[in-house]
Amino acid sequence: MRRPALALGLVLLAAACGSQAPEQAQPPSPSASATSPAAKGEATTIVEPTDGPIKRAAAADLVIWADDTRSPIIQKIAEKFAADKGVKVAVQQLEFGDIRDNLVTQGPAGEGPDVVIGAHDWLGKLVTNGAVAPLELGDKLGQFKEVAIKAFSYDGQVYGLPYAIENIALFRNTELAPETPKSFDELMKVGLDLVKQKKATLPLALQVGPEGDPYHFFPIASSFGSGVFDVKADGGYDPAKLLIDNEGGLAFAKALDGWRKSKALSADVTYDIAKEAFNSGKAPFQLTGPWNTDDAVKAGIKLAVEPIPSAGGKPAAPFVGVQGFMISANAKNKLVANEFVLNYLGTPEVSKELYDSGKRPPAMTSVYEQVKSDPIIAGFAAAGDIGQPLPSIPAMDAVWTEYGHAERDILLGKGDPVKLMKQAATKIRDKIGD
Amino acid sequence: MTDLARSGQRLGSLAGKLLLVGLVNALAVYGLVATYAVRDWGIFAVILVATAAVDYVYFSRRTLASRYLLPGLIFLLIFQVYVVIYTAYAGFTNVGDGHNLDKPRALQHILAVSEKRVPGSPPYKVQVLAGPDDRLHLLATGPDGRTTLDGRPATGVPADHRVLPFRDLVGRQQEVLALRVPLQDGSLRTEDGSTGYIAKPTLRYADDTLTDTVTGTVYRATERGYFESADGKVLTPGWKEVVGLDNYVRAFTDERLRAPLLSVFAWTFAFAALSVLTTFALGLLLALTLNREGLRGRGIYRSLLVLPYAVPSFLSALVWTGMLNQSFGFVNHGLLGGADIPWLNDATLAKVSVLLVNLWLGFPYMFLICTGALQAVPAEVNEAARIDGAGPWQLFRRVTLPLLLVSTGPLLVASFAFNFNNFTVIYFVTGGGPNIPDAPITLGSTDLLISAVYKVAFGGAGREWGFACAMSTIIFLVVAAISAAGFRRTRALEETYS
Amino acid sequence: MTRWFRVYGWRHLVGLLALVFALLPIVFVISASLNPRGTLTASVTLFADASLDNYRDLAGIPYGFWFGNTLWIAAATAVATVLLAASGAYAFSRFRFKGRRLGLLGLLLVQMFPQVLAAVAIFLLMAQIKGALPGIGLGTQFGLVLVYLGGAMGVNIFLIKGFFDSIPTELDDAAKVDGASHTRVFFTIILRLGAPVLAVIALLSFIATVNEFMIASIMLQDPQRKTLAVGLYGLISERLSANWGVFSAGALLGAVPSVLLFRFLQRYIVSGLLRGSVKG
Repeated sequence: MRRPALALGLVLLAAACGSQAPEQAQPPSPSASATSPAAKGEATTIVEPTDGPIKRAAAADLVIWADDTRSPIIQKIAEKFAADKGVKVAVQQLEFGDIRDNLVTQGPAGEGPDVVIGAHDWLGKLVTNGAVAPLELGDKLGQFKEVAIKAFSYDGQVYGLPYAIENIALFRNTELAPETPKSFDELMKVGLDLVKQKKATLPLALQVGPEGDPYHFFPIASSFGSGVFDVKADGGYDPAKLLIDNEGGLAFAKALDGWRKSKALSADVTYDIAKEAFNSGKAPFQLTGPWNTDDAVKAGIKLAVEPIPSAGGKPAAPFVGVQGFMISANAKNKLVANEFVLNYLGTPEVSKELYDSGKRPPAMTSVYEQVKSDPIIAGFAAAGDIGQPLPSIPAMDAVWTEYGHAERDILLGKGDPVKLMKQAATKIRDKIGD
Repeated sequence: MTDLARSGQRLGSLAGKLLLVGLVNALAVYGLVATYAVRDWGIFAVILVATAAVDYVYFSRRTLASRYLLPGLIFLLIFQVYVVIYTAYAGFTNVGDGHNLDKPRALQHILAVSEKRVPGSPPYKVQVLAGPDDRLHLLATGPDGRTTLDGRPATGVPADHRVLPFRDLVGRQQEVLALRVPLQDGSLRTEDGSTGYIAKPTLRYADDTLTDTVTGTVYRATERGYFESADGKVLTPGWKEVVGLDNYVRAFTDERLRAPLLSVFAWTFAFAALSVLTTFALGLLLALTLNREGLRGRGIYRSLLVLPYAVPSFLSALVWTGMLNQSFGFVNHGLLGGADIPWLNDATLAKVSVLLVNLWLGFPYMFLICTGALQAVPAEVNEAARIDGAGPWQLFRRVTLPLLLVSTGPLLVASFAFNFNNFTVIYFVTGGGPNIPDAPITLGSTDLLISAVYKVAFGGAGREWGFACAMSTIIFLVVAAISAAGFRRTRALEETYS
Repeated sequence: MTRWFRVYGWRHLVGLLALVFALLPIVFVISASLNPRGTLTASVTLFADASLDNYRDLAGIPYGFWFGNTLWIAAATAVATVLLAASGAYAFSRFRFKGRRLGLLGLLLVQMFPQVLAAVAIFLLMAQIKGALPGIGLGTQFGLVLVYLGGAMGVNIFLIKGFFDSIPTELDDAAKVDGASHTRVFFTIILRLGAPVLAVIALLSFIATVNEFMIASIMLQDPQRKTLAVGLYGLISERLSANWGVFSAGALLGAVPSVLLFRFLQRYIVSGLLRGSVKG
């Protein structure tokens, strides 16, 4: 995610001078996309529908919505469940962001699913709209990593069965940069030296893009002691306490301005450019997530995945996103849905199976123990251990755009960095206050 | 033509008409039966009215024009006019995040969620049994190993009861989910048919209020579409509520919106007008240039010029964004040999860039339209003018252009309106940016009225559909007024022509 | 030589310049479709790494289904649009009736309502229709075509009407003296002589339908029933794992039918039928 703008808007392609249907588009939704793009390549298998969608959905005892990368995996598991239990299961494939939006709009219209796969940061929207039902995990609570349960809790209730944890980490090309950098300054120095020697085009592949990228910049901001929202007594985020312009946030703003001057970061770097630079061996470092592992390895990069070094002295905490299964509040087959999610998906065996087919860092502790010998999985976990759950409260929608604009405008040199950050914070408070 | 042949022809066309109208009526009867079966009176009425209209129009003698208009009109009314009315109506409601359900449904959901597991209560192993009368019962084994049937001590499955297998539970799941066995701290219930928990409602509903059973807080249903406590705390979800003119009032009274939206209006107007002008000029130029018999490769030129229109527009818009990237783009580094022009980073240049990309996206459409319309310009008119000694420019200015504008004029007006609301191109090329940090709302230099409005309506904490719909309606009224004025000019043209 | 340039040469010059402008971004798309690393705009050097992997990968997704679906949906929409718009235009061009001018204005104004929010209304409408008439409701391709036909008259009618206006009414009158009915005049004279503009409308409608995404995506969710625009979009909906290579390959192949259709329709568009008829 974290290209709120682009991800949301791709939804709108309409023919420019359509004679047919005049411009059609969908409204923007500042966090339409979710925590986790999947490893690509899996998209090549597709669920074989056994029947037309209408009959299928109506006749099925369980309807599941999954995105294109996960529906083949879910399909396989669901088929086994169906055979075991003597029920009919239908897996319908939607774009990841659409799952969230359609659950809200189509659920009440009777067109919704029983179970969806989704990201925890959708909860604010889903709960506010009465689209998901709480899930009683019971004794199973203890089987998952704490951060995963915390992420799927909202107003004191758990709304999903977590299955994968995702966060960004430092990708290092060990051929260009043989040593783990001890600090962010050292990282930048190594990178800039390589650029000077013409061995690299970017010292650090970190995208800003047309709207800024607060998600990927967050570990850096947090290492200055900044954050998005302060935490309430009950562990939830408090929308009234915005932190982006606290002391650390302003130090972060000044640091960005410094990196602009030293040409360590550029506002013109897009995700495409960052990815291409790292995967073609033209950048020693990249801040990115598990979704890019396959491509980097496939491109022949000697890859090390490590925690992000601190720029401001405090730990560089990335946002942690948790993927999981949720049950629709409008589910027609709630009992089957509960059986499937709690007693089938929630077992170590199936959890391991999910891991094997998707290689996403598992949320179930026992499964994680089995797979942590993989240095890449361990690297992401090490980076994420100090992370904090991506805020799921609706107020987060107001943050992405302006926070991103502030970072981008500072990197473009549009003015005093402190002033730019404060202006963004004012606008965000204004929106949340409405 | 002989009289016989003529009457044969009449008979033939009458038979054809009967057949078609008969078919429509047959389908309509099917539709009426199907909608009656599910008691969908809305669609029932639409089918009834449409069929009656068809029958009247095709059998009355005074409805010649309507016969040709009706088919398209039916589609237009159902799929476009209805949509417009629906959107305009939504502008009078608070529909949006938190208000997507109707009230009974919202209440039902709040109550369902409020039934919470008693903290610290243990899980029970449960089995669902069917009694001799086929009623359902819950056999539960607590953590202490004691077994109860519907709360009364039991030793196992009674002889006249049977354990329902999962397959049977599926068919009766609403009954299973509704089972409640009262125990001392709450009621035992099961959500999966195999595990039970003691749960207790934490809210009580009476007289349109909800009362928290623990704290005693009272939430009243308010006109805002929420159950709201005295200190302003709300329960989610809320529901859809008609809020009258609230959205419109806000559009005109919010100080933060007024100044930015007025300045955006000027740019929006300029963008739309310049887009029409540039695409039409280039399209027409190319149509005229290539509309010459004997020009070799004419077909190839034309086919390739259509390509920009045949590729998904958001893909090419993204490619343009990449090409115009200041530090890495092809335009600066490939074409201009290392220039450092801030195509999309500078407020003014970004406007130029957006117009350029829109020209690229839009000129093939105008090219096709003009090529088609040019075929209607009679050769004699050109001949006559040439004999009168008119030069090529005068010929174009005095003869070709006016004739072309007769048929393309309304399209240019439509194109103006389309570009006035051209969310797509702005969205993909600049996202409205570059950002204006000093603006009181989230706003970029290339934002159009429509994209600015959507940033306001959807950019905050939650999407405000109702407000977006109201703003859309206001924008519509503005564009419609401008366009209607433009359209009057095409009327003058039409009359000159005929 | 100079005469050649005055008549033809400058036309080639303008044509070539326009081609460069029109094709530059397309070249980028082609380059991306050959790039095995799946990025779209990262590289300044075109065709640095070229392989046909992305085109081969299309075989692993239901691309064939999408392609076929799109072809029939777009063809059906184009044909029906031409018929509906042409008959509407005939009424406006040949008959004088009450509310004619207002009807034209209304037709134009309906198109101007910002459509960005239309999807929700259409979804609810089609879901309701599905409840009673599942064959044409949500989830069906046929229903999708019906929704598209809502825009059939729209602005098309103006272009066609303008063209019909220029067909001399003497031709109609002559046919009517011969005893032809209105219907007959419409089908045998107006539609035939209007071929150029009808071909243009068919093409515009076809292309617009091929590229239409919003309504198609809410209508069709079954992987094998999707249209190209919806199916391909699924490949890049996840911004971070997006494979632009496969997407570009699919989009380019998807543009081929539109270009071929234009090649085919071109002779009708510039047939000069009308000129002949005026002389005769």
